[in-house]
Amino acid sequence: MRLFKNGTIASEETPELQKADILVDDEGVIHQIAETIEAVDGSTTVDCDGCVIVPGMFDLNVHAREPGFEHKETLSSCGEAAIHGGVTGLVLMPDTAPPVDSGNLVKSLQDLVSEVSRIPMHTSGCLTKKREGKELAGFSGMASRGVTMLTDADHEVPCPDLLRRCMEYAKDFDLLVTTHGDTPALTKAGAINEGHVSYKLGLPGIPAISQEIALDRDIRVAQHTGARLHLQQVSTANSLKSIAAAKEAGTQVTCEVSPYHLLLTEEDADDYNTHFKMDPPLRLQSDCEALIRGLLDGAIDAIASNHAPHTEFEKSADFASAPFGISGLETTVLALFDRFISEGTFGWNLLVKKYSAEPRRIVNLDPVKIAEGEKAEFFIFDPNGETLVSKDYLKTKSPVSPFLGQTLKGAIRETVI
Amino acid sequence: MSELKPRKDLLDIESLSLEEIEYIFENAAPFKQLFQRSVKKVPTLRGKTVLNLFYEPSTRTSSSFEVAASRMSADVTNFTVSSSSVVKGESLLDTIETLQAMRSDYIVIRHQAAGVPGIVAKHTNASVINAGDGYHAHPTQALLDSMTFREVYPDYQGRKVIIVGDILHSRVARSTSMLFNKLGIEVGVLGPGSLVPEGRHDFMKRFHSWEDVFDWGPDAVYLLRVQLERQEGQFFPSIAEYHKMYGMHSERVARMRQLGAYLMHPGPVNRGVEITDEAMGYEKSLISTQVENGIAVRMAVLHWLKPETDKD
Repeated sequence: MRLFKNGTIASEETPELQKADILVDDEGVIHQIAETIEAVDGSTTVDCDGCVIVPGMFDLNVHAREPGFEHKETLSSCGEAAIHGGVTGLVLMPDTAPPVDSGNLVKSLQDLVSEVSRIPMHTSGCLTKKREGKELAGFSGMASRGVTMLTDADHEVPCPDLLRRCMEYAKDFDLLVTTHGDTPALTKAGAINEGHVSYKLGLPGIPAISQEIALDRDIRVAQHTGARLHLQQVSTANSLKSIAAAKEAGTQVTCEVSPYHLLLTEEDADDYNTHFKMDPPLRLQSDCEALIRGLLDGAIDAIASNHAPHTEFEKSADFASAPFGISGLETTVLALFDRFISEGTFGWNLLVKKYSAEPRRIVNLDPVKIAEGEKAEFFIFDPNGETLVSKDYLKTKSPVSPFLGQTLKGAIRETVI
Repeated sequence: MSELKPRKDLLDIESLSLEEIEYIFENAAPFKQLFQRSVKKVPTLRGKTVLNLFYEPSTRTSSSFEVAASRMSADVTNFTVSSSSVVKGESLLDTIETLQAMRSDYIVIRHQAAGVPGIVAKHTNASVINAGDGYHAHPTQALLDSMTFREVYPDYQGRKVIIVGDILHSRVARSTSMLFNKLGIEVGVLGPGSLVPEGRHDFMKRFHSWEDVFDWGPDAVYLLRVQLERQEGQFFPSIAEYHKMYGMHSERVARMRQLGAYLMHPGPVNRGVEITDEAMGYEKSLISTQVENGIAVRMAVLHWLKPETDKD
């Protein structure tokens, strides 16, 4: 038995934290929650004085790179990074090699996960075979193996007719269709948001309309077919407007935002730092502000890190040649606490709602609750601590982060799973 | 002149102070006078090595640097990476390690990817001179352009230059317009909407026709090279239409003559595209002077930069 004493519990319902002791039995089930619990025989006491006990986070957008790109990340290193960052469940993107586009591949990935991961990693499957955007992937096989969503990850299904057929077909299996919002004909070889910074640095730009047009199209197709649609990595104010309007019209659409698009802008990549190169690119301050408002007013349903590891060597290339993506699982909670919760922009309840409860609901899972009889799945956060985000600190194989070298307020003391 | 803070690299125009810019021009002038002598060499860089590293074909800039370095008695190695064996971005760090081992004192680098000279500079003790990176910067071109303009207009401040052509894909336009602006020279821009990004540079006045340009009364017309291979059809309908709308031909030369405006071009010129054969013969063309000043300015830059090759 472990007794977590003197902590305060966060929940999605209220910004107030509930002062309570938590007794967890040897099976990892919460045995008792009460204002004061005395230590019992054989129990170890964990002093949580001053700490917040937060339900485990859930990340909808994780590239674990295995199979195929184990030099970047493995399921095992990804799982450890997640736990280290307070994340106790996640959805794997199917853009591995081979891409996860059949029931058999889903099964073999799930077998691998159960061998190496200490947390649930849910599989997603491709919309189209090999993510090539030409033919429908085997939905029924993947559905029978329990995929949580269908997505071609950062590949857009190029043909609207094919996307329509995907959505129509997915409905029979009640599968969530997830898209990324990108118009390749506009994005071309772009590396950074198209704007002042791309002009100044002489880098090919990605215009905001590249996301906005694709997202508008996907919403229209979802409205037409009645399929459930989830939009990844919303990055512009106009994208958000479209989503809000679609929700207003009763469309079954949800969306996510990354911590980076809330916190950082194109100006941060001003010195060709590839740790700020991601897809979609960082946009403008006005976009950040709109996204924060969207998070607060409910237009944005979830936070997802888009954990996309690459090796330091790969990211050491010049900005245009370096791959898109940075690692995010270990810094999302810390960065959001540092910049928002500690500043009073929002409370723990919003983080729990957007990064723990809602993401689980989007993929039809029950939210994690800190309650008697529930499995203990939480992390202990010390708001008075601080964390130096160093290569040593990070458990991911990819120490590529915009926060590398920074000291962030708060510290995750332990994740209980 | 007071001693300047030593500088290792020349990567862009943005980071240059006015003091540094003046220092380069002050030194470029005597180097240029040297060209009139029968012996054009000075011993300034004897025993030093200059590596010309070109990842993009360039005869003009590469030879300009070569001539500049040899006139200063440096040993020059030319290293052109042909496009067939282009070293991809991912092995950049390996390339840098090789360069560091060669122990060159100066590395002149041109690369198709913006930012590469900066990465090389960060990882080597040699002085790195950006000879053009992607659409980003071409600082020595900007310096030679400004030197040329100031030679014909000693009262250059408040004078006007119109830059014509593809601003979007031009490092020359970026660097040269920025330096002109720093020096107090007004910059206008004319070109097809598809090649002139809106609202990028507050200091550049946007023109939509030669008529308006001539009404403005530029002191020099700076034509950019049209990248034929890349742009035809995608950014403007045809070469003929580009020439008609933005090219320099005899009628427009006549207007320039009335204004007394000079003609500039970074080279190499596409005859019949941005300029006709006839217009090339314009008596106030500064194109050859630009080439000559390029050598002088590059000598001044080599003279100015301080490699840290004595450090490990």
